Amino acid sequence: MIYGIIRLINFAHGDLFMVGAFIGWTVLGALAGMHAPVALVLIVALVLAMAAVGLLAVGIDRVAYQPLLRASRLSILITALGVSLALENGAMIIFGAGFDTYPTNLLPTASFLLGGATVTWIQVGMFALSLLLMAGLYAFVQFTPVGTAMRALSFDQDAARLMGVNVEGVIMITFLLGGGLAAASGVMMGLYYTQINFLMGFLMGLRAFTAAVLGGIGNIPGAMVGGLLIGVLQAFAAGYISSQWQDVIVFAVLILVLVFKPTGIFGERVVERM
Amino acid sequence: MIKRAELLSPAVNRFGPLAALVLALLVPFMANLYWLDVAIGILTFGMLGLGLNLVVGYAGLLDLGYAAFYAIGAYTTAILTTLGHLSFWETLPFAIAFSALAGVIIGYPTLRLRSDYLAIVTLGFGEIVRITATNLNITGGPNGIYGIPAPSIFGYHLFSDMSQYYLALVFLLAILFFTHHLAHSRMGRAWLSLREDESASEAVGVPSVRVKLWAYVFGAIFGGLAGAFFAARLTAISPDSFTYTQSVNILIVVVLGGMASFPGVLLGAAVVVGLPELLRFMSLWRLFVFSIGLIALMLLRPQGLWPAAARTREPFRALGPPGDDEAPKISRASGAVAGEPALLVEGLRRRFGGVVAVDDVSFRVERGQVVSIIGPNGAGKTTVFNCITGVTKPDAGSVALGGRPLRGMPPHDVVATGLARTFQGIRLFKGMPVYENVLVGMYPRQRATILGSLLHTRGQREEERESLRRTRSWLRFVGLEGVAGVKASELAYGDQRRLEIARALAAEPDVLLLDEPAAGMNPSEKRDLMGLVRRIQGLGVTVVLIDHDMSLVMGVSDRVVVIDRGRKIAEGAPQEIQRNQHVIDAYLGSEEGAEDDEAVNRWPS
Repeated sequence: MIYGIIRLINFAHGDLFMVGAFIGWTVLGALAGMHAPVALVLIVALVLAMAAVGLLAVGIDRVAYQPLLRASRLSILITALGVSLALENGAMIIFGAGFDTYPTNLLPTASFLLGGATVTWIQVGMFALSLLLMAGLYAFVQFTPVGTAMRALSFDQDAARLMGVNVEGVIMITFLLGGGLAAASGVMMGLYYTQINFLMGFLMGLRAFTAAVLGGIGNIPGAMVGGLLIGVLQAFAAGYISSQWQDVIVFAVLILVLVFKPTGIFGERVVERM
Repeated sequence: MIKRAELLSPAVNRFGPLAALVLALLVPFMANLYWLDVAIGILTFGMLGLGLNLVVGYAGLLDLGYAAFYAIGAYTTAILTTLGHLSFWETLPFAIAFSALAGVIIGYPTLRLRSDYLAIVTLGFGEIVRITATNLNITGGPNGIYGIPAPSIFGYHLFSDMSQYYLALVFLLAILFFTHHLAHSRMGRAWLSLREDESASEAVGVPSVRVKLWAYVFGAIFGGLAGAFFAARLTAISPDSFTYTQSVNILIVVVLGGMASFPGVLLGAAVVVGLPELLRFMSLWRLFVFSIGLIALMLLRPQGLWPAAARTREPFRALGPPGDDEAPKISRASGAVAGEPALLVEGLRRRFGGVVAVDDVSFRVERGQVVSIIGPNGAGKTTVFNCITGVTKPDAGSVALGGRPLRGMPPHDVVATGLARTFQGIRLFKGMPVYENVLVGMYPRQRATILGSLLHTRGQREEERESLRRTRSWLRFVGLEGVAGVKASELAYGDQRRLEIARALAAEPDVLLLDEPAAGMNPSEKRDLMGLVRRIQGLGVTVVLIDHDMSLVMGVSDRVVVIDRGRKIAEGAPQEIQRNQHVIDAYLGSEEGAEDDEAVNRWPS
């Protein structure tokens, strides 16, 4: 999303996800001794992580990206890489280089059968929460004034500014939302896979970016479909060929799609005026 | 105001490289083994940076998988020395060939992609190569290959760190030599023009796909050479050396140092390899501090530590004073059929969605004439130009230039056939000096081969000199000789228009299309422009121009074609057009009762 609006490949996005997972882990650890209801603990952890990472994202934007908006796009790319490296190594210093484990006793392990597949309630809950967040994001961007301003920004920043849009403010909200969403998925991943590590963000960032490109940059439904497609593709590749080659297959499909449809599956052709 | 760097530059230019070379030669005598090792690392990254600089710094193609070529070179050398029992030197041609092939394979299908999509595709390619190396038997899987023999010269094995350092230096200097030559040839200028404005570059005659592919191939070759050296030096390689992080590090070398800047790239390599070593005492904090330092450096110097110079002092100094024979001239391209009109447009039609922008437009332009196309805003004039020059594909109709059909040709072939143009919104290569803008315009007329550009052969150097001479004559022709070394974006508006005309003339066209050349000009500039159009006509060039300005159109045109709502409504000599009732209706809008005050005001009374 951030990409679509300010045309920046945010390399630090995956690391925000990682920081979210760690904050969620810290909060859960702190609340573990308090015998509070599980649902409340989870919500507190989720909300705190989202808020903290949202603010962190805004801070990063202010310090490292805003001053370079008028400079060459590659120099922003490099500061984004710098931020990513700083977050990874910062997390390593604070949380250590090993894996940390989410508490496993918080979530119900009950499951039921659906068409022959075992589905746990955790999976249902995570799926529902993801859908909710995505629907909320879509509604926000499509139907609120700030969302309209975001879409305007993605077409022409200067024109939006001339129309009275508070460009810096809108970019700030964009980063706040983007960071918050990253944190939410970080906490969910932590709860589900239980193992978190300071390098986990890198691979996720790569996959998220791949999903966005596959779907068509700056297109929210496209990103969702792209994400689904990549997940399915990885699962099939791992299941039918070998898990070692799964990333090769994902990237090969991505390249093939882009060769035949250079703007992604849902991307619109950009017509350039002479 | 003169900046300090500009005052320094002549001395730095002359003695800087020499001093740096002497310093580099002395490094083994000053450093201990540890720092010598770091120095070899810096040289290796220098090689990689120089190669990637062609792709990213010059051609402006973002490559996040450059380590793939590094890997291919390294594995080629490793496999051929250990399994094939070739010597290090014998593997080099294979390393070059395989990495070049990889450059074509990844480059060819992806060159149509916009930069961000290109970034992810190259990233994916880099990962594919690395994962493949991790999973194949011949590459030794995750453990890699070891026991690679050290290279030898005349029976002397280059085992010691000092000899490896000098080998690295030789490799670096060779790559520096070739990349520098390429960068200062028609190929290098074409790359820069693509980075600045791809459509404009194509429209002045640069075959963009082929030129981009060459950037990829050369980037790949130099990356492969660096890989071959790397394998021989470490005697063992594994996939861990060719990760995405490595690609990113090489990119940081280029951007941090300064895109398209040779000293910048070398400085960038020193910082990226050297700084983390200097910070080693910080142990855990090392990379954190490095990343903060990286952000700070980019914030302080977004253009890089040592940006490429944007201005050139006295670009024509090497030529000496101009001779008498240096008048601008157009040498005719062969192939025009005698007796055919210079430009013949028949039944041109183009629809955009539901709007027919150009509807059955036909006209002919005789040789040596000046013909104007006029019409209200949105009448379809620029679309006619775009259809003629191959920028837009017409739905129907034909275009012939001196009897040669143009339809279906990409824009750069149209220019090579003899039709050049300027743009309604000025599209110069803004970051390049004025004289290089004109030199890019000569691309379709230049004949230097890739090999010639790589080696700067005698023929290539003579052609460059001749091109520079012609550039001077064209700049004098439009009155810009005095600002030849200035960055194009620093020119005043009217000067930018004239530079665009000079760039188009540099292709020595039979026909020149000018799209609203007088837009935004004041009356005295317009008068100068009329004189310029007549002088262009005097060179034997046929001129077709679009404009709103009636004093200009009526003053210079032999014939006038009027277009309204995509249709040709009148054609004839200027005096006939002024009296034509259809034209007056179209401009006054009496049919609709609509008003177009602007058009009324522009109509000469």
